Amino acid sequence: MSGIVCAIRGGPTSKPTIAKAIELAKETNLVLHFLYIVNLDFLTYTESSRVRLIKEEMHEMGDFIVLAAQEKAENEGVEAQGAVRDGTVSEGIIEFSQEIEADYVVLGSPRAEHDENVFTRERFESFVATVEEESGARVVLSEIETS
Amino acid sequence: MKPIIRKSLLSLLVIIISFSIFVLTTHVEAQDTVLQAYLVGMIEDRQNEPIVGAEVILQDADNGEDLAATETESDGRFALPIPPQIPEAVSVHIERSHFENFATPLEVSSIEQLEQGESLTLPTVTLERKITPAFWVAAVVFLAVLVLIATGLFHNTLATLIGVTLVFGFSYLGTLVSDGLFIFDFERSLQYVDWNVIFLIMGMMIVIAVVEDTGIFQWLAFIAYRLSQGRAYVLLPILMLFTGVASAFLDNVTTMLLMTPITVQIALAMGINPLALLIPEVMASNVIGVSTLVGTPTNILIGSFAEISFNDFLINLTPGVLIAFVGLVLYTAFIYRQDLREADEPSEMLMERLAERGKIEDTENLMKAGVVFAGMIVLFVLGEQFHLLPAVTALMGATALLVWIRPDIEAMIEAVDWTTLVFFLALFITVGAIQEVGLISIIADLVGRLVGESIVLAMVGVTVFSAVLSTVIANIPFTAAMLPVVAFLSRTVPGAESKMLFYCLSVGAAMGGNGSLIGASANMVTAGIADSAGYPITYGYFLKKGFPALLITVALAMIWLLIRFL
Repeated sequence: MSGIVCAIRGGPTSKPTIAKAIELAKETNLVLHFLYIVNLDFLTYTESSRVRLIKEEMHEMGDFIVLAAQEKAENEGVEAQGAVRDGTVSEGIIEFSQEIEADYVVLGSPRAEHDENVFTRERFESFVATVEEESGARVVLSEIETS
Repeated sequence: MKPIIRKSLLSLLVIIISFSIFVLTTHVEAQDTVLQAYLVGMIEDRQNEPIVGAEVILQDADNGEDLAATETESDGRFALPIPPQIPEAVSVHIERSHFENFATPLEVSSIEQLEQGESLTLPTVTLERKITPAFWVAAVVFLAVLVLIATGLFHNTLATLIGVTLVFGFSYLGTLVSDGLFIFDFERSLQYVDWNVIFLIMGMMIVIAVVEDTGIFQWLAFIAYRLSQGRAYVLLPILMLFTGVASAFLDNVTTMLLMTPITVQIALAMGINPLALLIPEVMASNVIGVSTLVGTPTNILIGSFAEISFNDFLINLTPGVLIAFVGLVLYTAFIYRQDLREADEPSEMLMERLAERGKIEDTENLMKAGVVFAGMIVLFVLGEQFHLLPAVTALMGATALLVWIRPDIEAMIEAVDWTTLVFFLALFITVGAIQEVGLISIIADLVGRLVGESIVLAMVGVTVFSAVLSTVIANIPFTAAMLPVVAFLSRTVPGAESKMLFYCLSVGAAMGGNGSLIGASANMVTAGIADSAGYPITYGYFLKKGFPALLITVALAMIWLLIRFL
């Protein structure tokens, strides 16, 4: 198996990433895999007994976000598949890339605000190197969102 | 000997022994009744609250020898048994930690009365508060707990447990250094725990755990979409109403945990910014939840403390809540008008997916849960007629559901948020500590002086103060601490006897949650899920949208309360 992994969170910041992945899929003729990672760190300080329930709901939401991206890709004539995984974003991307033996991993740009769930700029650079090293895939970055 | 004769003799023996004991005890009681005189009275603080556990001692005025001693009961009353022989000069001493000692000599005529075996009633004694090192310890610990919760450095439960540990640490180990560090002992601390609140929350958690698995929330959200026929302006109030009504009977956090993901999906399918639906939804959840006893944790606290029933909340708050809700709908429709206009023709594929999600997953269980829940509402409403506590109703409902549906009991026990229950237990003790040392009394005194005798000022003051503070500190500990203050104002401000100030506290504490992201747990959960979908809700964003909503909803509800009670 081979293809392109496009890790998305949904929302406006994922649009350039999705566009870049579709463009790359058109160029390479590879299967595009949209990946959504369910991360429940936000529950740490609020609810502790709802993990099973909220995980199910977040999976459903992730499926939906991935489905929306698939629809966009298919509208542009690109074959796309979707996957939803649990855990931290960085580990999820590496594991999935290894699983499908990805040729490319398309990532969005690091966000400016502090958020432990996503990458800071410094961690992002080291993460890109780690993905390339551990999965053998080439990392492609989408345009930096300036808005 | 035949068994029947043996049994008869044994029965006779039991009867004789029982009769002998009865005669003997009656004789002793009769003797006591004839000879025993009591010194009776009541001890209270400056807020006219009974002082529990105060030691009342009868002393020989000449040599200071203790002649008799007793303690005040939960109503502040005492009955000191007077010994048969008493000296010519005696005095009554009253001692209680965190209060100044009190002593008064007994008049000769009073002593003669007691000597003749007649009981004597003392005038009510008011003890003055004493500021001890323990006062500062308890105050600092409580503030530290609030800061730990507000900053998110520790989980709420851990923050309050740290508070409890410090309180007991100083009470038990600190006294090795100085007696002034004593706050209260373990036994006394448990008197501050409101078990009605604990069991009501636990019962409701089990009920919610059964209901949430039926798919009712997803179905409601999809029905809202279908009713709106894809028109975002119509969808907004329907979703807000559904979320709000669900929050009035279930807890806000669970409601938003289940409504947020499906709302995000509906918004994405319609091509609109999910925040245009999510922010109004969570605000509606915070506003409409106020209308019932079980709608918010703060109402559960207030209802149990002030003995406000399910009906009382419905009757006195629902009209105000509805007025505030209409204001909220208009406000949110206005601030999100641009986003709502951007709705596209929904994607067929995505809508098919939504329709699949919007189905009831377990019709049979939903029907059973509906029947039990309806029964619980009836008992909540009628229960006060036969003194049925809401906690008992919740436990009965939870048990009925478990017996009827027979869900996986392990899963049900897991669904009970034990950390929240421990949080409440620890919170009651932490707040109890500041009550014990007199901090709450001082605050009550101060607020009482500020308010004076103006009921309008008291109502507006309590509402606005609690609303504003709830935006920056956790509203549950705040409400728990405010209860005795509001109780004091209810006794001292003329015209405030009908518990109206508790309704003001309810409105302020719950609607105040809309003022900031950290104002309510439901806000945090919504923000977490929205962020996971790529739509972050920052503190600044929520403040900008939420604070005007707070002002509008609190002002409208306040107007209703003034009309209702003045």
